[in-house]
Amino acid sequence: MTELAPISSRRRRSDVVMRGLLGVATIVALVPLVLVIYWLLHEGLSAWSKDFFTTDPNGNFLGYPGGIRSAILGTIEIVALATLISVPIGIGVALYLTEYGKDSKFANVVRYFVDVMTGVPSIVFGLFIYIVLVLARTGGSTFAAWKGSIALALLMLPIVVRSSEVVLLLVPGSLREAALALGAPRWRVVTRVVLPTSLSGLVTGALLAVARGAGETAPLLFTVAFAQGLTGNLNQSMNSLPIQIYNDIQSPRAEVVTRAWGAALTLVVMILLLNLIARAASRRSRLG
Amino acid sequence: MNPEIDTKNKDATDVSSPDQPAGQPQQTAEPAPRAQTESKRAAHSVVVEDLHAYYGAQESIKGISIKFPANEVTALIGPSGSGKSTVVRCINRMHEEIPGARAEGKVMLDDLDVYDPKVDLTAVRRAIGMVFQKPNPFPTMSVFDNVAAGLRLTGTKSDNLRETVHKALRSVGLWGEVKNRLNEPGIGLSGGQQQRLCIARTIAIEPEVILMDEPASALDPVSTLKIEELVEELKERYTIVIVTHNMQQAARIADTTAFMLEGELIEHGPTNKIFTTPEDERTERYVTGKFG
Amino acid sequence: MQETRHAFREALKDLESQTLGGMDLVLQQLDRALEAVSYQDVELAGMVVADDDRIDGRYLEVHQGILSLLARQAPVAGDLRIVAALLHIIRCIERMGDQCVNIAKLVPLSGHEAPKDKDLLDAIERMGQLAHSQVSQAKDAFGGRNTDLAQDLVRQDEEINRLNRDIFRRAVDIGDDPELREWAMFMILVARCLERIGDNTVDIAEQTVFVVTGLFREFADASTPPETATTG
Repeated sequence: MTELAPISSRRRRSDVVMRGLLGVATIVALVPLVLVIYWLLHEGLSAWSKDFFTTDPNGNFLGYPGGIRSAILGTIEIVALATLISVPIGIGVALYLTEYGKDSKFANVVRYFVDVMTGVPSIVFGLFIYIVLVLARTGGSTFAAWKGSIALALLMLPIVVRSSEVVLLLVPGSLREAALALGAPRWRVVTRVVLPTSLSGLVTGALLAVARGAGETAPLLFTVAFAQGLTGNLNQSMNSLPIQIYNDIQSPRAEVVTRAWGAALTLVVMILLLNLIARAASRRSRLG
Repeated sequence: MNPEIDTKNKDATDVSSPDQPAGQPQQTAEPAPRAQTESKRAAHSVVVEDLHAYYGAQESIKGISIKFPANEVTALIGPSGSGKSTVVRCINRMHEEIPGARAEGKVMLDDLDVYDPKVDLTAVRRAIGMVFQKPNPFPTMSVFDNVAAGLRLTGTKSDNLRETVHKALRSVGLWGEVKNRLNEPGIGLSGGQQQRLCIARTIAIEPEVILMDEPASALDPVSTLKIEELVEELKERYTIVIVTHNMQQAARIADTTAFMLEGELIEHGPTNKIFTTPEDERTERYVTGKFG
Repeated sequence: MQETRHAFREALKDLESQTLGGMDLVLQQLDRALEAVSYQDVELAGMVVADDDRIDGRYLEVHQGILSLLARQAPVAGDLRIVAALLHIIRCIERMGDQCVNIAKLVPLSGHEAPKDKDLLDAIERMGQLAHSQVSQAKDAFGGRNTDLAQDLVRQDEEINRLNRDIFRRAVDIGDDPELREWAMFMILVARCLERIGDNTVDIAEQTVFVVTGLFREFADASTPPETATTG
């Protein structure tokens, strides 16, 4: 009968050590995350109330400082517009890179620049828009929500492009071949086969970008500035959660600081909800 | 649509013709037959003239001329790298989809040169269908949608889409197995069923020629035999070219067999002759397994 | 490097040598049967009859081997022709063995006295030698895939047919003598068996040509007059 050599004790030891190290690394990575969530909940939950969500900040030095309604709605508006700009363009660029440009010189140049853009600090985008659109008073205004959206879109665009390209490349070439061999023109192959197959991945990529954009403060500082009241006018300053938090956290008043925590918690929760909704929707669409 | 009576797949309880009382043999309801149907029944042959194919600078097909007779099954056999798949991909111009690949020469579908610059590429591919080695149904589509995909992707209008899809499924012998699962995802079927689904998808747009690139090599033996029987039936309506590395398969189903080696056509003749008295010694050595 | 399908090639070669070995058995049987006829040796004739089992056994072995090869190896082209030819040839061998047995069975029947007519006996002996040479040449022709040798067998067979006719006439001539008559008639039967053996070698020659060229051409022999034969 064959004898299988038993595991040496040295191997057993190194196995244990490695497992231990990996476990420690995981914990080290999780600790800040857990701490953040804890502090958010600890500090911010107390700010949450009905008024918190239904009133605007009122700038009063005394008394109830107001809620963050205008900030929430402002963030939604600005980020929505930024998404509307960046996601279609980003997916379009990714489609170009995977379906048409492929390995051409131009496509590789585009990829390089997109990579560079992912590394550009967000404040640079803010300054860029500040000079190009704000100082130039484009659209008849200085600070405006739509200009902030563009700044955020510039930030989100490379994220969308890179993640979409990865997802599109995962679509098996055999599917494209099958569609082409049936006699489909290339654009139909893209819209009817490639996009539907990669839909859930594209949605995830877009969500990543949205999460990033919703939390950025610097670009908004220079483009949207700050407003207290609720406004739907995209062509003027608008409130937003990051700016609200930025302002509130510096206040000497404790209630205002608490409001800042509450706003931060709100932002995190909003992104979480968005994530869940979009995933559920895309899962259904894949099976349909 | 062909006004045929599909006697192989009679289904007395077929849902698609509710106006016919159950128990009657299935007949496809048909408006006045169009002149087009006659040409669909006509025989279509493919003639390749002096074809050269390149992958970048490397020449992989070195001047091949071969005729694929109408309504016959022609098998292309040869060792790996002989270029048989490349030849077939040049017929429906899929070869040029590979970056850096190109082809020169003539491929005549009846009296039309497929490589004529004035010809619409998508029309060529509609007339020359292809079935691949690994079944590739569209994962986001149901069984029904998969079969209809050919029509929808090419923007072809069909008088009765349901009828067309059901007929295609019946033609490939899949109807009985999927008639209650038409709205389930196409990828939920077994491998052999998926491949037949892909064949149904191809014939739903009524091509003139069907190219098959090792259609059964990824399947189990029973599914393979089903596919082979299907090929026997299909050749009555289409001209079929099948690439196979399984010589027994070529011997079983092909009327004519062509042997290729290193980008050249070595011998081409009736299958019976190739497997009993081949003329070229290289053919003899390949089919008897002395190399390859 | 070993050629592909090594086991198959070995099996095919074995089958062929078994078949050709069968022809050696036939030669043995033929020689002994002829000796028995010449010397009226009943005991030797009995051995010939008993030893036919060996040829029958060889037939079964080769037949089984061919079935097995067809089922498991699916030979095609040249290999297929060889297998088909071997099947045909082993049957010819079995028939030739049976003809030797027929000759041997005639020995005790033709009487124990010394044969009477020297001319007739000489002719039989000459015919026997010719048959022996035909069988031997058929074996060489197939084994060496030699179509010239195969073609030559047709010529030899004409010779054996001529001898057959001569023997018949001679037997008719001496048939007037009542003492010789019976023996002479048995000699006619012996000659016919030898002539059949000749025909079988022509069949083997046809198979040789088939294996080499892929064409089956019927040589002129007793059953096929020269006018309808595809090669003279």
